Amino acid sequence: MTFRTRLFLLVVIALLLSVGIVAVGVTAVTRRAFEDSNHARSEALVAQFEREFDRHKQDIVHRVQGVADAEATVRMAIDLSRPKADVSVYVNDARGVSASHQLDFLDFASDDGSIISSNESPARFGYKIDWLAPQGWASTGAFLMKVDTQSGPALGLTSVSVVRVGDKNLYVLGGERLGKDFLRSLVLPSGMRALLYMNLDPDFQAGDLVDESGLIAYGERFREFVEQERAQPGERSFTIAWTPDAASAESFHALPLLGRQGELIGALLVGSSERERVLLERRIILLATAVAGMGLLFGLLLSWWGAARVTRPVRKLAEGAREVSEGNWSARVEVRGSNEISQLAKSFNHMTEQLSEQREHLVQAERVAAWRELARRLAHELKNPLFPLQTTVENLQRAKEQSPEQFEEVFRESTGILLSEIESLKKIVGRFSDFAKMPQPEISSVDLNETIRAVVKLFESQFSAVGRPPITSELHLEEGLPSIQADEALLRRAIENLVLNAMDAMPAGGVLMLRTTHQNGDVDLEISDTGSGLTREECDRLFTPYYTTKQHGTGLGLAIVQSVVSDHGGRISVESESGVGTSFFIHLPAKPSLAPEAAVIQKASSNGE
Amino acid sequence: MKLRLLLLLAATSAGLFAAGRAEPARRPRYGGMLRVEIGATVNSIDPSVAAASSEEAAARDEICSAINERRRPEGAFAANAASGPFRVAEWEPGKRLMLEANPSYREGRPFVDSVEIQMGKSSRDRLLDLEVEKTDIAEIPAEEVRRASEAGVRIAVSQPDQLIALVFVPGRAISENAHSREALSRSVNRSAIVNFILQKEGEPAGGLLPQWSSGTAFLFSTAVDAVAARNLWAEVSGLPKISLGYDASDSLEQSLAERIAVDARAAGGLVTAVAIHAGADGGEDVRIVRLGMASPDPREALARLVAVLGPMAGSPGETLPAAATPQQVYETERAVLNTYRIVPLVWMPRVYGLGARVRDWKTPEAGEGWPFADVWLGDAQ
Repeated sequence: MTFRTRLFLLVVIALLLSVGIVAVGVTAVTRRAFEDSNHARSEALVAQFEREFDRHKQDIVHRVQGVADAEATVRMAIDLSRPKADVSVYVNDARGVSASHQLDFLDFASDDGSIISSNESPARFGYKIDWLAPQGWASTGAFLMKVDTQSGPALGLTSVSVVRVGDKNLYVLGGERLGKDFLRSLVLPSGMRALLYMNLDPDFQAGDLVDESGLIAYGERFREFVEQERAQPGERSFTIAWTPDAASAESFHALPLLGRQGELIGALLVGSSERERVLLERRIILLATAVAGMGLLFGLLLSWWGAARVTRPVRKLAEGAREVSEGNWSARVEVRGSNEISQLAKSFNHMTEQLSEQREHLVQAERVAAWRELARRLAHELKNPLFPLQTTVENLQRAKEQSPEQFEEVFRESTGILLSEIESLKKIVGRFSDFAKMPQPEISSVDLNETIRAVVKLFESQFSAVGRPPITSELHLEEGLPSIQADEALLRRAIENLVLNAMDAMPAGGVLMLRTTHQNGDVDLEISDTGSGLTREECDRLFTPYYTTKQHGTGLGLAIVQSVVSDHGGRISVESESGVGTSFFIHLPAKPSLAPEAAVIQKASSNGE
Repeated sequence: MKLRLLLLLAATSAGLFAAGRAEPARRPRYGGMLRVEIGATVNSIDPSVAAASSEEAAARDEICSAINERRRPEGAFAANAASGPFRVAEWEPGKRLMLEANPSYREGRPFVDSVEIQMGKSSRDRLLDLEVEKTDIAEIPAEEVRRASEAGVRIAVSQPDQLIALVFVPGRAISENAHSREALSRSVNRSAIVNFILQKEGEPAGGLLPQWSSGTAFLFSTAVDAVAARNLWAEVSGLPKISLGYDASDSLEQSLAERIAVDARAAGGLVTAVAIHAGADGGEDVRIVRLGMASPDPREALARLVAVLGPMAGSPGETLPAAATPQQVYETERAVLNTYRIVPLVWMPRVYGLGARVRDWKTPEAGEGWPFADVWLGDAQ
């Protein structure tokens, strides 16, 4: 993954994270705000309900007291206070009185609590209301109770007033039905509704739950929460999701409605729709997604542009470094601005300049060293024949001056020496000339194993020559070695040089091993001896022309070997261990490339490395 | 004719007596139209056409009795026999019936020229019409007697000859359970019904015949047996609610049904009052029926009641010998009641409100029709 791609991804991820965090944050804050708002609205509604309830209570108390204070009621009380009063006369009175006082429930009860007349349940005349008589009702106020009506039980807000005549009481029990009409009287904010659960049956019945329009749909969904309320009356909140859509959810706050004895008569359920909040959350998420999308697109372009702008100098630096690695020491990077990348580019340019200069110096130094070495070798090589030449000429001069009679003889002998030494000089010059004029390879198909066998056969006589310790040759030539495209003469010369080198390295005899292997058409040749080995410094300089560790070597043999291998696109390396021997490894490709490799890998392990 | 002559003589002597006391003579007067209002809606005066309700049947019986004083063999009056005191002049089914006097009536021409019967009038309207003298005679529900009296309306009350009873509909699970039938019978507070709903106009019914007729009604308990009722209800607690049907157009039946439901609930039973509309099957288990006595004679009355109620309750009608002794009548009555398929509730009188012009109104006895032929119209006072 490129730096540019990483930078781009980094920007995109940062952008998405930012938008996501903002969206989540805004959503959470919104949700919290809505919850607080709903809670506040529920509390307000509960407070409103309680105010409305108190107002209703006072109203009921006043209306029931109004019935008790009415002349007809007082007359009834006076009449009923008489001995053997006929209560049946009043059996239908409650209906008319309740209508005139706008009371849903109205019962007249005698001193012992027996119902004289009942509006909501006219047929209950004669039955006793047990809890009515024993209690004083002077300051009780209104209270909730379950009222038996002709159509079944109902929830009522009721009050009791007493008309006392003599020692007899006439009880007036009146009230108002709590139901949809009562709920309708509550002013609800938008998105809220109030439900009334009337605890009228032994078990939860969906029909006991009403809203301002009457019975509600899906009342069964409230069963679990109402059962909890019935088991343990108290304020509690719960949420109902009407459909899988979260927007359909509705949170409820339950307010228990207790009766005179603290028993649960009903519960007010204040519902608040989650729709508005969920829709707002969705809008926020949609907006965040849109912003994120736009941001992503913008970020894509911006980061692409930014990454390109930021990475361009880095890329140029990388290109420059690659050029340098490929040998273009003059590679330079364009420098713009003064930031870190520009400083890096300047440093790079400075580095390449330094490297170029140092390389130039090194080349010059190596050139000088090479010339010096050449001069030293030339001087060394030429000094040997020159000394006999000088001595011979001086002998001739001396012979002519001091012994003219012997001059002829000395002359013959001296000219012979002179010619011999001149021949030596010509050979020396010829070798240098040959190295300077290495021929270009003439490529043909070559069987390397055959070439090796031919070279070994040439030197077999010298391996076991009289007067020197024998050298044993071991050939490990792989059968089926593929032919390679090479110049057989040059290869043969290179192998001969290496065999000669090995023989020179084993003056006390030893084993010369030659091994061939192949892989993917390429051929590997290993030539090892069991000589005294080389030092690491010697290994390092082994292929340097005119460098030799021998007394009479020219230092050109291995240089020629390296030149031949290189000309065939191959590689040569050397491994040597002091006291064990030296091994040369040659890798030759099946077909030499046009640009021969010059790499020389040297793995010196003479120091145990 | 003799009866009419005797009445004329009696009226004349009464008028002479009144004149002697410086009061206007009370002499029967011919002419005028007698205005009558009833609550029932009679759609046909042909006895062979089935009535929609017992109330309609009773009203039709009364109308037919005004037209033809003769009873048919099964006890109902025949219509349009042309031999009675009145003939049908105009007939608007369900609304109005105009009768005209039959001048060739064998017992003499009725005093009034015609009788107009308005049907389907509510009890409140009938009372108001009586008060403002828009009508001369109107049926008044027993429960309204006290109010009518307080309003100054003349009241004529018959013997309690209208039986209100519960009849279990045969074939239903509840009806076929003897315990539930008995439980309901023992739960009902009949005295409360008479005292409060009927405003003491009537008497609790324990038997199929009233005390004034049979003399043995006191042998049938009318008291609430709360303990027995509670035990019986407990035994049938697994049964569904009892559906108690009442005539949707009858406010008295509604009040009774609601009270019975309350009494049953108080005893541990479950009873629901269900209004039954004319011609509709309410699917009730038990229903309230009203039945008038066909005769003051206990044997005749019982035979008629058993003949009518027996099939309704799904029990074979007990047969009574033509000359059944009071003992036999009692035993038959007991046998019918022991099944609890018919549960008598109350005996109720027929109550009539009379306008100021109405003279010589004689409240009919059990089995008798309206005595319009004997009524004459005086001056309103």
